[in-house]
Amino acid sequence: MNHKKLAIAVTAAFALQFGAPAWAQVKIGINVPLTGFAAADGKSALDGAKLAVADANAKGGVNGEKIELVIYDDQASPKEAAPAATKLIEKDKVVVGVSGSYSASTRAAAPLFQAAKVPYVVAYSIHPDVTLAGDYVFRTATMGEVQGRAGAKLASDLGKKKVVLITLKNDFGQALATGFKEAAPKFGISIIKEYEYSIPDRQFGALISKVKSDNPELLYASGYYFTAGPLVNQLRAAGVTVPVIGQEGYDSEKFIEIAGAASEGTLVTTSLDRDSPSPVTQAFLKEYRAAYSAGADMVAASTFTATSIAIEGLKKTGGKGGEALKKAIEGGSFNTPIGTLTFNDLHEVKKDIQVQVVKDKAFHRHSVISDPVLLAPPTKAK
Amino acid sequence: MLFVELIAQGLIQGSIYALIALGLTLVYGLLRILHVAHAAFFTLGGYVGVMVANQTGSLAAAIVAAMIVAGIGGILVFRLCYQPILHQPPFVPLIASIGLYIAAEELFRIIFGPSGLTYGYAFLQGQVVLFGSLRFKLAEIAVMLGSAAIIGVLSLLQTRTRIGVACQATVSDPQMAESFGISLRRVGDINFFVGSALAAFAGVMVSVLNNLVEPTMGSVPSYKALAIIVLGGLGSVRGTLAAALVLGVVESFGTVYLGHFLDRNAIAFAFLILVLMWRPQGLFARSG
Repeated sequence: MNHKKLAIAVTAAFALQFGAPAWAQVKIGINVPLTGFAAADGKSALDGAKLAVADANAKGGVNGEKIELVIYDDQASPKEAAPAATKLIEKDKVVVGVSGSYSASTRAAAPLFQAAKVPYVVAYSIHPDVTLAGDYVFRTATMGEVQGRAGAKLASDLGKKKVVLITLKNDFGQALATGFKEAAPKFGISIIKEYEYSIPDRQFGALISKVKSDNPELLYASGYYFTAGPLVNQLRAAGVTVPVIGQEGYDSEKFIEIAGAASEGTLVTTSLDRDSPSPVTQAFLKEYRAAYSAGADMVAASTFTATSIAIEGLKKTGGKGGEALKKAIEGGSFNTPIGTLTFNDLHEVKKDIQVQVVKDKAFHRHSVISDPVLLAPPTKAK
Repeated sequence: MLFVELIAQGLIQGSIYALIALGLTLVYGLLRILHVAHAAFFTLGGYVGVMVANQTGSLAAAIVAAMIVAGIGGILVFRLCYQPILHQPPFVPLIASIGLYIAAEELFRIIFGPSGLTYGYAFLQGQVVLFGSLRFKLAEIAVMLGSAAIIGVLSLLQTRTRIGVACQATVSDPQMAESFGISLRRVGDINFFVGSALAAFAGVMVSVLNNLVEPTMGSVPSYKALAIIVLGGLGSVRGTLAAALVLGVVESFGTVYLGHFLDRNAIAFAFLILVLMWRPQGLFARSG
């Protein structure tokens, strides 16, 4: 490289380095799994977050400044999430972070945001440790244990007492199973057996043969649509006709596509009620379909919600982050597609659990579980 | 009855493993390469299958197309990726193979999207009831019969045709075979074509069973098939078949009775360690 070229390159590098802040922008960071096994959820999450940012920018941004979403792929893995969080905080200097990822990665990122005093709004990770990282971490999802308890209530509402658990062996599945098992005795539910499977499993033939011989009245099976779709399909093909209760992880149109006719009647406990009369929910569902020509799922709705809460907070502080933003989010009440949310002292939300049922190839409202004692999120006291 | 059902489920799973592992054995026998990227042809088969099936409405067309496309892909990988580095130490092709697999997985994700494709037609979703209470999906029966038929025809071809005999000769002594006028390249082409086509057939059948083709569907087979060929005594076709079926059945019981302690996908390796402690030459190979 000759000197002239070198000079140009150096000038260009400086221009890139120091030229950018000339038009200031409010930066929101997000970690999402865009590659690897969770890439599909990552795409939904990112689509949700982008929609929230586009909405806000269309309405003038924050304090007249445009919002910029800084995106890092964390592959749903802690070892990718920690450097991603560090880059967001140190290099990109985001004022607020959003997690559009799973529990394992979010648990790794949360303490870094906490240490840097950058508020971190977590969309759909359900592990208890997430909010225990400290007071800069907020969560819009219902914790796994709470959802598990709601599952037990739903089983009891359906009049079923003999249950087999099919548990996904990760943070998500285990938290759900813990909640279900904890609440089951209160409703007189006996758990005949619990089986576990791991996330790459798609073939459940052996397990289903055993479940058949257990002869349960209901199955409580945790999983994501890509495990639950094949599972429910294979259960019905093997002649198991009892109701299946799933959770947020099933909440995707893809579940219905994969399980096909077998998906009819499957119940899921989730946070998105597609038949909600709330104008915010309906507007979100409509906008999402218009933007991506696909129906929104729980992950998209939750990440949209988490991002909107971060933006609402920024509007209150005039774009300032740190403690001011933390206080703004703490004290706010947010009208979102997944309900009106306020945070408790541990920064968990208290909300009803939506039960959706697959009917005519779509999710519809089955019932709403609203039991303040059973669904109480943990607080600082416990 | 549960016992019989678990064995049957194990054999179904085992025949899928056999189809995938056979290609790996053929390649190992010939080139002494652990062909990790083989699982990419399993995934490729799934994608070609689902697209052709949804376009034409014919599962037979889907299977044929998937096998041909994967077979040609296999030859390309042999010619473009492995042949130039065959003289390098064994870890070089191994690393190339792992890299190729990762690249393929990401390529599938970029081209077809992360959330997977499903069949627009309900192929082989009907049920068969045998002996009163044993229920199988047609697809499950098809995968077992299909594998048995394909493997049977292959073993006939291997012993009854000139090229089959040439392949066997090359595997047992490549230099001697070459001096008798057998083209190593041609034998390589055939092995890669057949092996990749078998993996593609397995890919179509698994995706019909699950009604799902995803970019990551090859990740478990990629390493499990390695365990199977080691169990079968590297390079032995019969050993690989037996190891695949035994592993299928062991996993079937393991999932149900050991699920709490041992991951289903870890069973293959736990089993592998046990067998290698007792028979380091593999479960079915002659010692020495």
